Amino acid sequence: MIYYQLRNELWKMFGKKRTYIGFGAFLAAHATILMLFRFWKGPRLDMSRRLELLGFDSAKYISNITMAVAVIIPVALLLMPLYVALVGGDLLAKEAEDGTLRMILARPISRFRLALVKWMCGLIFSFVLALMLGGLGAIVASCLFPSGGLFAFLPMDNIFSVFDPADGWRRYIVVTLMLTVTASTIMGLALMFSCFNIKPAAATILALSVFLTSRIIQELPYFHDLQPWFPTYHMGFWMWLFEERVPWPQIFKSLSYLAGFNLTMLIIGCAGFQVRDIKS
Amino acid sequence: MIELRNVTKKFGGNKAVDDLSLSVPAGQIFGLLGHNGAGKSTAIGMMLGQVWPTAGEISVCGHEVTRDRERALRKVGAIFEAPAFYNELSGRRNLEILSYYTAPTPDARIQEVVDWVGLGERIKDRVKTYSHGMRARLALGQALLPRPELLILDEPSDGLDPEGIHEMRQTILRLHRELGLTILLSSHLLVEVEQVCQSIAVMNHGRKVFQGTLAETRRNGGWLRLRVGAFAEAVKILRETGLITQERDGQFVLPAEGAESDQLVERLVERRQRVYEIAPEEETLEGFYLSLMKK
Repeated sequence: MIYYQLRNELWKMFGKKRTYIGFGAFLAAHATILMLFRFWKGPRLDMSRRLELLGFDSAKYISNITMAVAVIIPVALLLMPLYVALVGGDLLAKEAEDGTLRMILARPISRFRLALVKWMCGLIFSFVLALMLGGLGAIVASCLFPSGGLFAFLPMDNIFSVFDPADGWRRYIVVTLMLTVTASTIMGLALMFSCFNIKPAAATILALSVFLTSRIIQELPYFHDLQPWFPTYHMGFWMWLFEERVPWPQIFKSLSYLAGFNLTMLIIGCAGFQVRDIKS
Repeated sequence: MIELRNVTKKFGGNKAVDDLSLSVPAGQIFGLLGHNGAGKSTAIGMMLGQVWPTAGEISVCGHEVTRDRERALRKVGAIFEAPAFYNELSGRRNLEILSYYTAPTPDARIQEVVDWVGLGERIKDRVKTYSHGMRARLALGQALLPRPELLILDEPSDGLDPEGIHEMRQTILRLHRELGLTILLSSHLLVEVEQVCQSIAVMNHGRKVFQGTLAETRRNGGWLRLRVGAFAEAVKILRETGLITQERDGQFVLPAEGAESDQLVERLVERRQRVYEIAPEEETLEGFYLSLMKK
Protein backbone atom coordinates (compact mmCIF):
# COMPACT_ATOMS: atom_id res chain seq x y z
CA MET A 1 0.00 0.00 0.00
CA ILE A 2 2.74 2.45 0.93
CA TYR A 3 4.35 1.68 -2.44
CA TYR A 4 1.21 2.85 -4.27
CA GLN A 5 0.90 5.91 -2.09
CA LEU A 6 4.53 6.78 -2.77
CA ARG A 7 4.00 6.21 -6.49
CA ASN A 8 1.01 8.56 -6.35
CA GLU A 9 3.06 11.23 -4.58
CA LEU A 10 5.68 10.93 -7.32
CA TRP A 11 2.99 11.31 -9.98
CA LYS A 12 1.87 14.47 -8.27
CA MET A 13 5.37 15.84 -7.84
CA PHE A 14 6.59 15.11 -11.34
CA GLY A 15 3.27 16.26 -12.82
CA LYS A 16 4.07 19.82 -11.71
CA LYS A 17 6.15 22.14 -13.88
CA ARG A 18 7.94 23.77 -10.95
CA THR A 19 9.54 20.42 -10.08
CA TYR A 20 11.60 20.77 -13.23
CA ILE A 21 12.76 24.34 -12.61
CA GLY A 22 15.81 23.06 -10.72
CA PHE A 23 16.84 20.75 -13.55
CA GLY A 24 16.61 23.60 -16.05
CA ALA A 25 18.47 25.96 -13.73
CA PHE A 26 21.28 23.42 -13.26
CA LEU A 27 21.66 23.02 -17.00
CA ALA A 28 21.74 26.79 -17.50
CA ALA A 29 24.23 27.30 -14.64
CA HIS A 30 26.51 24.51 -15.85
CA ALA A 31 26.43 25.76 -19.42
CA THR A 32 27.10 29.39 -18.41
CA ILE A 33 29.96 28.64 -16.02
CA LEU A 34 31.61 26.09 -18.29
CA MET A 35 31.31 28.32 -21.35
CA LEU A 36 33.06 31.07 -19.36
CA PHE A 37 35.82 28.60 -18.44
CA ARG A 38 36.04 27.46 -22.05
CA PHE A 39 36.07 30.79 -23.84
CA TRP A 40 37.58 33.15 -21.26
CA LYS A 41 41.25 32.53 -20.69
CA GLY A 42 41.61 34.20 -17.25
CA PRO A 43 40.27 31.39 -15.02
CA ARG A 44 42.09 28.69 -16.98
CA LEU A 45 45.40 30.57 -16.77
CA ASP A 46 44.91 30.94 -13.03
CA MET A 47 44.25 27.22 -12.73
CA SER A 48 47.31 26.38 -14.89
CA ARG A 49 49.52 28.63 -12.77
CA ARG A 50 48.44 26.91 -9.55
CA LEU A 51 49.07 23.44 -11.04
CA GLU A 52 52.44 24.36 -12.51
CA LEU A 53 53.59 25.92 -9.24
CA LEU A 54 53.19 22.47 -7.72
CA GLY A 55 54.97 20.80 -10.63
CA PHE A 56 51.94 19.32 -12.45
CA ASP A 57 51.37 19.39 -16.19
CA SER A 58 48.36 21.71 -16.45
CA ALA A 59 47.35 20.37 -19.90
CA LYS A 60 46.64 16.97 -18.30
CA TYR A 61 44.43 18.37 -15.56
CA ILE A 62 42.42 21.11 -17.26
CA SER A 63 39.91 18.49 -18.28
CA ASN A 64 36.22 17.58 -18.32
CA ILE A 65 36.31 16.08 -14.81
CA THR A 66 38.17 19.10 -13.33
CA MET A 67 35.63 21.45 -14.88
CA ALA A 68 32.68 19.28 -13.82
CA VAL A 69 33.92 19.42 -10.21
CA ALA A 70 34.64 23.15 -10.46
CA VAL A 71 31.05 23.74 -11.51
CA ILE A 72 29.10 21.35 -9.25
CA ILE A 73 30.67 22.73 -6.05
CA PRO A 74 29.20 26.26 -6.26
CA VAL A 75 25.96 24.98 -7.79
CA ALA A 76 25.56 22.39 -5.00
CA LEU A 77 26.34 24.98 -2.33
CA LEU A 78 24.16 27.79 -3.64
CA LEU A 79 21.59 26.66 -6.21
CA MET A 80 20.72 23.17 -5.05
CA PRO A 81 19.43 24.31 -1.60
CA LEU A 82 17.14 26.78 -3.33
CA TYR A 83 15.42 24.22 -5.54
CA VAL A 84 15.24 21.49 -2.99
CA ALA A 85 13.73 23.93 -0.45
CA LEU A 86 11.26 25.09 -3.09
CA VAL A 87 9.98 21.56 -3.66
CA GLY A 88 10.19 20.55 0.04
CA GLY A 89 8.25 23.64 1.10
CA ASP A 90 5.51 22.73 -1.36
CA LEU A 91 5.08 19.14 -0.24
CA LEU A 92 2.34 19.70 2.34
CA ALA A 93 1.80 23.45 2.47
CA LYS A 94 0.89 23.62 -1.23
CA GLU A 95 -1.66 20.84 -0.79
CA ALA A 96 -3.16 22.78 2.11
CA GLU A 97 -3.17 26.00 0.10
CA ASP A 98 -4.76 24.35 -2.97
CA GLY A 99 -7.38 22.53 -0.90
CA THR A 100 -6.29 19.04 -1.93
CA LEU A 101 -5.14 18.29 1.62
CA ARG A 102 -8.78 18.37 2.75
CA MET A 103 -9.63 15.89 0.00
CA ILE A 104 -6.82 13.59 1.16
CA LEU A 105 -7.65 13.87 4.85
CA ALA A 106 -11.28 13.02 4.20
CA ARG A 107 -9.85 9.53 3.72
CA PRO A 108 -8.66 7.05 6.31
CA ILE A 109 -4.95 7.75 5.97
CA SER A 110 -3.12 8.78 9.12
CA ARG A 111 -1.36 12.12 9.09
CA PHE A 112 1.88 10.45 10.15
CA ARG A 113 1.74 8.12 7.18
CA LEU A 114 0.98 10.96 4.81
CA ALA A 115 3.91 13.02 6.12
CA LEU A 116 6.16 9.95 5.91
CA VAL A 117 5.15 9.26 2.30
CA LYS A 118 5.77 12.92 1.48
CA TRP A 119 9.21 12.71 3.10
CA MET A 120 10.05 9.58 1.09
CA CYS A 121 8.91 11.34 -2.05
CA GLY A 122 11.15 14.29 -1.16
CA LEU A 123 14.02 11.87 -0.64
CA ILE A 124 13.55 10.45 -4.14
CA PHE A 125 13.37 13.97 -5.56
CA SER A 126 16.62 14.84 -3.73
CA PHE A 127 18.26 11.80 -5.30
CA VAL A 128 17.05 12.70 -8.79
CA LEU A 129 18.13 16.31 -8.30
CA ALA A 130 21.60 15.23 -7.17
CA LEU A 131 21.87 12.89 -10.17
CA MET A 132 20.83 15.68 -12.50
CA LEU A 133 23.35 18.03 -10.91
CA GLY A 134 26.21 15.56 -11.26
CA GLY A 135 25.04 14.13 -14.57
CA LEU A 136 24.48 17.45 -16.32
CA GLY A 137 27.83 18.73 -15.00
CA ALA A 138 29.63 15.72 -16.45
CA ILE A 139 27.81 15.90 -19.78
CA VAL A 140 28.26 19.64 -20.36
CA ALA A 141 31.93 19.53 -19.22
CA SER A 142 32.62 16.56 -21.52
CA CYS A 143 31.16 18.48 -24.45
CA LEU A 144 33.47 21.44 -23.87
CA PHE A 145 36.70 19.98 -22.44
CA PRO A 146 38.98 17.04 -23.23
CA SER A 147 39.40 14.00 -20.99
CA GLY A 148 42.10 14.09 -18.34
CA GLY A 149 42.87 13.93 -14.64
CA LEU A 150 41.05 15.68 -11.83
CA PHE A 151 42.42 18.78 -10.16
CA ALA A 152 40.24 19.51 -7.11
CA PHE A 153 40.78 22.92 -5.57
CA LEU A 154 38.54 23.82 -2.61
CA PRO A 155 40.28 26.65 -0.75
CA MET A 156 37.57 26.94 1.95
CA ASP A 157 38.27 23.37 3.06
CA ASN A 158 42.00 23.58 2.33
CA ILE A 159 41.69 20.90 -0.34
CA PHE A 160 44.15 20.88 -3.22
CA SER A 161 44.37 17.44 -4.81
CA VAL A 162 45.06 15.81 -8.14
CA PHE A 163 43.78 12.40 -9.25
CA ASP A 164 44.11 10.26 -12.35
CA PRO A 165 40.97 10.18 -14.57
CA ALA A 166 39.59 6.86 -13.23
CA ASP A 167 39.98 7.87 -9.58
CA GLY A 168 38.63 11.31 -10.37
CA TRP A 169 35.44 9.99 -11.98
CA ARG A 170 34.98 7.45 -9.20
CA ARG A 171 35.08 10.23 -6.62
CA TYR A 172 32.83 12.39 -8.76
CA ILE A 173 30.17 9.63 -8.88
CA VAL A 174 30.34 9.08 -5.11
CA VAL A 175 30.07 12.83 -4.51
CA THR A 176 27.05 13.00 -6.81
CA LEU A 177 25.36 10.22 -4.85
CA MET A 178 26.33 11.79 -1.52
CA LEU A 179 24.79 15.10 -2.57
CA THR A 180 21.48 13.30 -2.05
CA VAL A 181 22.12 13.41 1.70
CA THR A 182 22.71 17.16 1.65
CA ALA A 183 19.72 17.77 -0.61
CA SER A 184 17.42 15.55 1.46
CA THR A 185 18.45 17.35 4.66
CA ILE A 186 17.41 20.72 3.24
CA MET A 187 14.29 19.07 1.86
CA GLY A 188 13.52 17.62 5.31
CA LEU A 189 13.94 21.06 6.85
CA ALA A 190 11.54 22.60 4.30
CA LEU A 191 9.07 19.73 4.75
CA MET A 192 9.13 20.25 8.51
CA PHE A 193 8.05 23.88 8.07
CA SER A 194 5.57 22.76 5.41
CA CYS A 195 3.84 20.58 8.01
CA PHE A 196 2.77 23.65 9.96
CA ASN A 197 -0.01 26.03 9.08
CA ILE A 198 2.01 28.31 6.78
CA LYS A 199 2.14 29.17 3.09
CA PRO A 200 4.47 27.12 0.84
CA ALA A 201 6.62 30.19 0.10
CA ALA A 202 7.02 30.79 3.84
CA ALA A 203 8.13 27.17 4.37
CA THR A 204 10.72 27.54 1.59
CA ILE A 205 11.99 30.88 2.90
CA LEU A 206 12.22 29.61 6.48
CA ALA A 207 14.18 26.54 5.40
CA LEU A 208 16.55 28.68 3.34
CA SER A 209 16.90 31.15 6.22
CA VAL A 210 17.92 28.37 8.61
CA PHE A 211 20.35 27.00 6.01
CA LEU A 212 21.91 30.37 5.19
CA THR A 213 22.12 31.50 8.82
CA SER A 214 23.90 28.29 9.72
CA ARG A 215 26.20 28.79 6.73
CA ILE A 216 26.97 32.41 7.67
CA ILE A 217 27.77 31.58 11.30
CA GLN A 218 29.84 28.60 10.19
CA GLU A 219 31.92 30.81 7.92
CA LEU A 220 32.60 33.52 10.52
CA PRO A 221 36.12 32.99 11.82
CA TYR A 222 35.05 33.91 15.37
CA PHE A 223 32.87 30.80 15.57
CA HIS A 224 35.35 28.40 14.04
CA ASP A 225 35.38 26.20 17.15
CA LEU A 226 31.61 25.86 16.99
CA GLN A 227 31.57 24.61 13.38
CA PRO A 228 30.69 20.98 14.19
CA TRP A 229 27.48 22.20 15.84
CA PHE A 230 26.09 23.62 12.63
CA PRO A 231 24.19 21.46 10.14
CA THR A 232 25.74 23.18 7.13
CA TYR A 233 29.20 22.11 8.28
CA HIS A 234 28.08 18.46 8.07
CA MET A 235 26.08 19.05 4.89
CA GLY A 236 29.37 19.89 3.16
CA PHE A 237 30.89 16.49 4.06
CA TRP A 238 30.90 15.40 0.42
CA MET A 239 33.68 17.90 -0.32
CA TRP A 240 36.04 15.87 1.89
CA LEU A 241 35.78 13.09 -0.71
CA PHE A 242 38.12 15.22 -2.83
CA GLU A 243 40.86 14.99 -0.21
CA GLU A 244 43.66 12.69 -1.21
CA ARG A 245 43.16 10.59 1.93
CA VAL A 246 39.41 10.51 2.46
CA PRO A 247 38.63 11.18 6.16
CA TRP A 248 36.04 8.39 6.46
CA PRO A 249 35.57 8.63 10.26
CA GLN A 250 34.81 12.33 9.89
CA ILE A 251 32.42 11.57 7.01
CA PHE A 252 30.57 8.91 8.99
CA LYS A 253 30.34 11.28 11.94
CA SER A 254 28.73 13.88 9.68
CA LEU A 255 26.41 11.28 8.15
CA SER A 256 25.31 10.26 11.67
CA TYR A 257 24.74 13.91 12.58
CA LEU A 258 22.67 14.42 9.43
CA ALA A 259 20.66 11.23 10.04
CA GLY A 260 19.80 12.50 13.52
CA PHE A 261 19.03 15.97 12.18
CA ASN A 262 16.71 14.52 9.51
CA LEU A 263 14.94 12.30 12.02
CA THR A 264 14.44 15.23 14.38
CA MET A 265 13.00 17.37 11.57
CA LEU A 266 10.68 14.53 10.58
CA ILE A 267 9.45 14.01 14.14
CA ILE A 268 8.88 17.75 14.73
CA GLY A 269 7.11 18.02 11.37
CA CYS A 270 4.89 14.99 12.03
CA ALA A 271 4.01 16.27 15.52
CA GLY A 272 3.13 19.71 14.16
CA PHE A 273 1.09 18.18 11.34
CA GLN A 274 -0.73 15.85 13.71
CA VAL A 275 -2.00 18.56 16.05
CA ARG A 276 -2.92 21.23 13.52
CA ASP A 277 -6.43 21.80 12.22
CA ILE A 278 -6.98 21.47 8.48
CA LYS A 279 -9.47 24.11 7.37
CA SER A 280 -10.54 25.38 3.96
CA MET B 1 -24.40 7.05 11.59
CA ILE B 2 -22.94 10.30 12.96
CA GLU B 3 -23.10 11.25 16.64
CA LEU B 4 -21.72 14.46 18.09
CA ARG B 5 -21.92 14.78 21.86
CA ASN B 6 -21.38 18.19 23.48
CA VAL B 7 -18.76 19.14 20.94
CA THR B 8 -17.02 22.48 21.27
CA LYS B 9 -14.29 23.92 19.07
CA LYS B 10 -12.42 27.07 19.93
CA PHE B 11 -10.04 28.93 17.62
CA GLY B 12 -8.14 31.14 20.01
CA GLY B 13 -10.84 32.84 22.06
CA ASN B 14 -13.58 32.31 19.47
CA LYS B 15 -16.02 29.44 19.81
CA ALA B 16 -16.64 28.22 16.26
CA VAL B 17 -18.81 25.36 17.55
CA ASP B 18 -20.44 25.59 20.95
CA ASP B 19 -21.67 22.50 22.80
CA LEU B 20 -23.06 20.86 19.68
CA SER B 21 -24.92 17.58 20.00
CA LEU B 22 -26.15 16.09 16.78
CA SER B 23 -27.39 12.75 15.61
CA VAL B 24 -27.61 11.74 11.95
CA PRO B 25 -29.60 8.51 11.60
CA ALA B 26 -28.59 5.88 9.04
CA GLY B 27 -30.41 5.89 5.70
CA GLN B 28 -31.46 9.54 5.76
CA ILE B 29 -30.58 12.63 3.79
CA PHE B 30 -29.82 15.03 6.60
CA GLY B 31 -29.44 18.75 6.07
CA LEU B 32 -27.10 20.93 8.07
CA LEU B 33 -28.18 24.53 7.71
CA GLY B 34 -26.69 27.77 8.88
CA HIS B 35 -25.37 31.13 7.76
CA ASN B 36 -21.77 31.62 6.64
CA GLY B 37 -19.58 31.21 9.71
CA ALA B 38 -22.27 29.34 11.64
CA GLY B 39 -19.84 26.48 12.25
CA LYS B 40 -21.08 23.95 9.67
CA SER B 41 -17.72 23.41 7.97
CA THR B 42 -15.93 23.25 11.31
CA ALA B 43 -18.42 20.62 12.48
CA ILE B 44 -17.84 18.64 9.26
CA GLY B 45 -14.08 19.06 9.67
CA MET B 46 -14.38 17.51 13.12
CA MET B 47 -16.46 14.62 11.77
CA LEU B 48 -13.66 13.88 9.30
CA GLY B 49 -10.86 14.24 11.83
CA GLN B 50 -9.48 17.30 10.07
CA VAL B 51 -10.26 19.65 12.93
CA TRP B 52 -9.68 18.52 16.49
CA PRO B 53 -12.47 19.30 18.94
CA THR B 54 -11.67 21.31 22.06
CA ALA B 55 -14.24 19.25 23.98
CA GLY B 56 -16.83 16.55 23.32
CA GLU B 57 -17.00 13.28 21.43
CA ILE B 58 -17.59 12.50 17.78
CA SER B 59 -18.52 9.11 16.46
CA VAL B 60 -18.80 8.21 12.75
CA CYS B 61 -19.97 4.79 11.55
CA GLY B 62 -19.70 3.55 15.14
CA HIS B 63 -16.08 4.62 15.72
CA GLU B 64 -14.69 7.51 17.73
CA VAL B 65 -13.06 9.87 15.21
CA THR B 66 -10.45 11.31 17.58
CA ARG B 67 -9.27 7.86 18.70
CA ASP B 68 -9.91 5.64 15.67
CA ARG B 69 -10.07 7.94 12.68
CA GLU B 70 -8.94 5.34 10.14
CA ARG B 71 -11.77 2.94 10.95
CA ALA B 72 -14.33 5.70 11.28
CA LEU B 73 -13.62 6.99 7.78
CA ARG B 74 -13.24 3.67 5.97
CA LYS B 75 -16.79 3.83 4.58
CA VAL B 76 -17.08 7.59 4.23
CA GLY B 77 -16.94 9.74 1.12
CA ALA B 78 -16.79 13.53 1.21
CA ILE B 79 -17.18 16.43 -1.18
CA PHE B 80 -16.27 20.01 -0.33
CA GLU B 81 -17.25 23.33 -1.81
CA ALA B 82 -15.04 24.14 -4.82
CA PRO B 83 -13.41 20.69 -4.88
CA ALA B 84 -9.66 20.84 -5.46
CA PHE B 85 -7.73 18.46 -7.70
CA TYR B 86 -4.31 18.03 -9.23
CA ASN B 87 -4.97 20.13 -12.28
CA GLU B 88 -1.96 18.97 -14.29
CA LEU B 89 -3.06 15.34 -14.09
CA SER B 90 -5.95 13.58 -15.80
CA GLY B 91 -9.26 12.97 -14.08
CA ARG B 92 -8.53 9.28 -13.98
CA ARG B 93 -5.11 9.82 -12.38
CA ASN B 94 -6.77 12.04 -9.78
CA LEU B 95 -9.24 9.28 -8.97
CA GLU B 96 -6.42 6.75 -8.64
CA ILE B 97 -4.40 9.02 -6.38
CA LEU B 98 -7.27 9.84 -4.05
CA SER B 99 -8.66 6.30 -3.91
CA TYR B 100 -5.34 4.83 -2.81
CA TYR B 101 -5.49 6.85 0.40
CA THR B 102 -8.33 4.51 1.36
CA ALA B 103 -7.40 1.19 -0.21
CA PRO B 104 -6.07 -0.22 -3.49
CA THR B 105 -8.81 0.25 -6.06
CA PRO B 106 -9.15 -1.98 -9.13
CA ASP B 107 -9.41 -0.33 -12.56
CA ALA B 108 -12.83 -1.88 -13.03
CA ARG B 109 -14.14 -0.05 -9.94
CA ILE B 110 -12.73 3.25 -11.19
CA GLN B 111 -14.38 2.69 -14.57
CA GLU B 112 -17.67 1.80 -12.86
CA VAL B 113 -17.61 5.09 -10.94
CA VAL B 114 -16.60 7.08 -14.04
CA ASP B 115 -19.61 5.61 -15.85
CA TRP B 116 -21.87 6.31 -12.87
CA VAL B 117 -20.96 10.00 -12.73
CA GLY B 118 -21.03 10.26 -16.53
CA LEU B 119 -17.54 11.63 -17.19
CA GLY B 120 -17.00 9.26 -20.12
CA GLU B 121 -13.93 9.81 -22.27
CA ARG B 122 -13.19 13.19 -20.65
CA ILE B 123 -11.77 11.28 -17.69
CA LYS B 124 -8.55 10.98 -19.71
CA ASP B 125 -8.21 14.77 -20.03
CA ARG B 126 -6.32 17.00 -17.65
CA VAL B 127 -8.49 18.37 -14.86
CA LYS B 128 -7.46 21.93 -15.70
CA THR B 129 -9.61 21.64 -18.85
CA TYR B 130 -12.73 20.68 -16.84
CA SER B 131 -15.75 22.93 -16.31
CA HIS B 132 -17.24 23.51 -12.82
CA GLY B 133 -19.83 20.84 -13.50
CA MET B 134 -17.25 18.28 -14.54
CA ARG B 135 -15.17 18.99 -11.46
CA ALA B 136 -18.29 18.44 -9.37
CA ARG B 137 -18.81 15.07 -11.08
CA LEU B 138 -15.18 14.15 -10.50
CA ALA B 139 -15.56 15.13 -6.85
CA LEU B 140 -18.56 12.85 -6.61
CA GLY B 141 -16.61 10.09 -8.32
CA GLN B 142 -13.73 10.26 -5.84
CA ALA B 143 -16.21 10.20 -2.96
CA LEU B 144 -17.94 7.11 -4.34
CA LEU B 145 -14.79 5.08 -5.02
CA PRO B 146 -14.45 3.47 -1.58
CA ARG B 147 -18.10 2.24 -1.75
CA PRO B 148 -19.14 4.55 1.08
CA GLU B 149 -22.10 4.06 3.40
CA LEU B 150 -21.99 7.69 4.44
CA LEU B 151 -21.53 10.67 2.15
CA ILE B 152 -20.68 14.08 3.59
CA LEU B 153 -21.39 16.95 1.24
CA ASP B 154 -20.14 20.37 2.31
CA GLU B 155 -21.78 23.02 0.14
CA PRO B 156 -21.61 20.79 -2.97
CA SER B 157 -23.56 23.23 -5.15
CA ASP B 158 -21.30 26.21 -4.50
CA GLY B 159 -20.13 27.76 -7.74
CA LEU B 160 -22.48 25.72 -9.93
CA ASP B 161 -24.90 27.30 -12.41
CA PRO B 162 -28.67 26.65 -12.04
CA GLU B 163 -28.46 23.58 -14.29
CA GLY B 164 -25.53 22.29 -12.28
CA ILE B 165 -27.42 22.84 -9.03
CA HIS B 166 -30.42 20.96 -10.43
CA GLU B 167 -28.17 18.12 -11.59
CA MET B 168 -26.48 17.96 -8.18
CA ARG B 169 -29.86 17.79 -6.46
CA GLN B 170 -31.00 14.96 -8.72
CA THR B 171 -27.71 13.16 -8.13
CA ILE B 172 -28.12 13.36 -4.35
CA LEU B 173 -31.59 11.85 -4.62
CA ARG B 174 -30.28 9.18 -6.99
CA LEU B 175 -27.45 8.30 -4.61
CA HIS B 176 -29.92 7.86 -1.80
CA ARG B 177 -32.38 5.90 -3.91
CA GLU B 178 -29.99 3.65 -5.85
CA LEU B 179 -27.12 3.19 -3.42
CA GLY B 180 -29.00 3.61 -0.15
CA LEU B 181 -26.42 6.04 1.22
CA THR B 182 -26.78 8.09 4.34
CA ILE B 183 -26.08 11.67 3.26
CA LEU B 184 -25.16 14.68 5.34
CA LEU B 185 -25.73 17.77 3.25
CA SER B 186 -24.38 21.07 4.51
CA SER B 187 -25.85 23.96 2.60
CA HIS B 188 -27.26 27.42 2.80
CA LEU B 189 -29.44 26.82 -0.24
CA LEU B 190 -32.77 26.35 1.55
CA VAL B 191 -34.60 25.22 -1.59
CA GLU B 192 -32.04 22.48 -2.12
CA VAL B 193 -32.36 21.27 1.46
CA GLU B 194 -36.15 21.48 1.34
CA GLN B 195 -36.27 19.35 -1.79
CA VAL B 196 -33.91 16.57 -0.81
CA CYS B 197 -33.63 16.30 2.99
CA GLN B 198 -35.80 14.39 5.41
CA SER B 199 -34.37 15.89 8.59
CA ILE B 200 -32.36 18.99 9.32
CA ALA B 201 -30.32 20.70 11.99
CA VAL B 202 -29.91 24.46 12.01
CA MET B 203 -26.82 26.15 13.40
CA ASN B 204 -26.49 29.77 14.43
CA HIS B 205 -23.20 31.21 15.68
CA GLY B 206 -21.81 27.78 16.51
CA ARG B 207 -24.85 26.53 18.37
CA LYS B 208 -27.55 24.15 17.22
CA VAL B 209 -30.87 25.96 17.34
CA PHE B 210 -33.07 23.25 15.84
CA GLN B 211 -33.00 19.57 14.94
CA GLY B 212 -36.01 17.73 13.58
CA THR B 213 -37.79 16.46 10.53
CA LEU B 214 -38.70 18.69 7.64
CA ALA B 215 -42.37 18.04 8.45
CA GLU B 216 -41.82 19.59 11.88
CA THR B 217 -40.47 22.76 10.33
CA ARG B 218 -43.66 23.10 8.28
CA ARG B 219 -45.99 23.00 11.28
CA ASN B 220 -46.90 26.50 12.14
CA GLY B 221 -48.52 26.74 15.54
CA GLY B 222 -51.79 25.11 14.49
CA TRP B 223 -52.98 27.80 12.07
CA LEU B 224 -55.43 26.65 9.40
CA ARG B 225 -55.79 28.09 5.95
CA LEU B 226 -59.47 28.66 5.32
CA ARG B 227 -60.84 29.43 1.85
CA VAL B 228 -64.50 30.36 2.00
CA GLY B 229 -66.97 32.49 0.06
CA ALA B 230 -66.89 35.29 2.68
CA PHE B 231 -63.94 35.15 5.06
CA ALA B 232 -65.11 37.97 7.38
CA GLU B 233 -68.56 36.41 7.77
CA ALA B 234 -67.05 32.97 8.42
CA VAL B 235 -64.72 34.38 11.09
CA LYS B 236 -67.67 36.08 12.79
CA ILE B 237 -69.61 32.77 12.90
CA LEU B 238 -66.65 30.78 14.20
CA ARG B 239 -65.83 33.38 16.89
CA GLU B 240 -69.47 33.45 18.07
CA THR B 241 -69.38 29.70 18.51
CA GLY B 242 -65.96 29.79 20.22
CA LEU B 243 -64.31 27.53 17.63
CA ILE B 244 -61.45 29.94 16.78
CA THR B 245 -59.45 32.40 18.80
CA GLN B 246 -57.61 34.41 16.12
CA GLU B 247 -57.59 35.20 12.41
CA ARG B 248 -55.03 36.86 10.13
CA ASP B 249 -54.18 37.83 6.58
CA GLY B 250 -57.73 37.21 5.34
CA GLN B 251 -57.14 33.44 5.04
CA PHE B 252 -55.81 31.97 8.28
CA VAL B 253 -57.65 31.03 11.49
CA LEU B 254 -56.34 29.64 14.77
CA PRO B 255 -58.72 26.99 16.19
CA ALA B 256 -59.60 27.13 19.89
CA GLU B 257 -58.22 24.38 22.06
CA GLY B 258 -59.99 21.10 21.29
CA ALA B 259 -61.62 22.42 18.12
CA GLU B 260 -61.01 20.29 15.04
CA SER B 261 -61.17 21.37 11.42
CA ASP B 262 -64.25 19.15 10.71
CA GLN B 263 -66.17 21.01 13.43
CA LEU B 264 -65.29 24.31 11.81
CA VAL B 265 -66.48 23.10 8.42
CA GLU B 266 -69.67 21.61 9.89
CA ARG B 267 -70.58 24.89 11.61
CA LEU B 268 -69.90 26.97 8.49
CA VAL B 269 -71.95 24.66 6.28
CA GLU B 270 -74.79 24.77 8.79
CA ARG B 271 -74.72 28.57 8.47
CA ARG B 272 -74.78 28.23 4.65
CA GLN B 273 -71.20 29.39 4.10
CA ARG B 274 -69.35 28.07 1.05
CA VAL B 275 -66.19 26.25 2.14
CA TYR B 276 -63.64 25.60 -0.61
CA GLU B 277 -60.61 24.49 1.38
CA ILE B 278 -59.41 24.02 4.93
CA ALA B 279 -55.87 22.80 5.56
CA PRO B 280 -53.07 23.23 8.08
CA GLU B 281 -50.84 26.16 7.22
CA GLU B 282 -47.45 24.88 6.09
CA GLU B 283 -44.59 27.23 6.65
CA THR B 284 -41.77 27.31 4.09
CA LEU B 285 -38.33 26.26 5.24
CA GLU B 286 -37.19 29.78 4.48
CA GLY B 287 -39.78 31.24 6.82
CA PHE B 288 -38.92 28.71 9.49
CA TYR B 289 -35.17 29.33 9.09
CA LEU B 290 -35.54 33.10 9.24
CA SER B 291 -37.70 32.87 12.35
CA LEU B 292 -34.95 30.78 14.00
CA MET B 293 -32.28 33.28 13.04
CA LYS B 294 -34.28 36.14 14.54
CA LYS B 295 -34.52 34.43 17.92
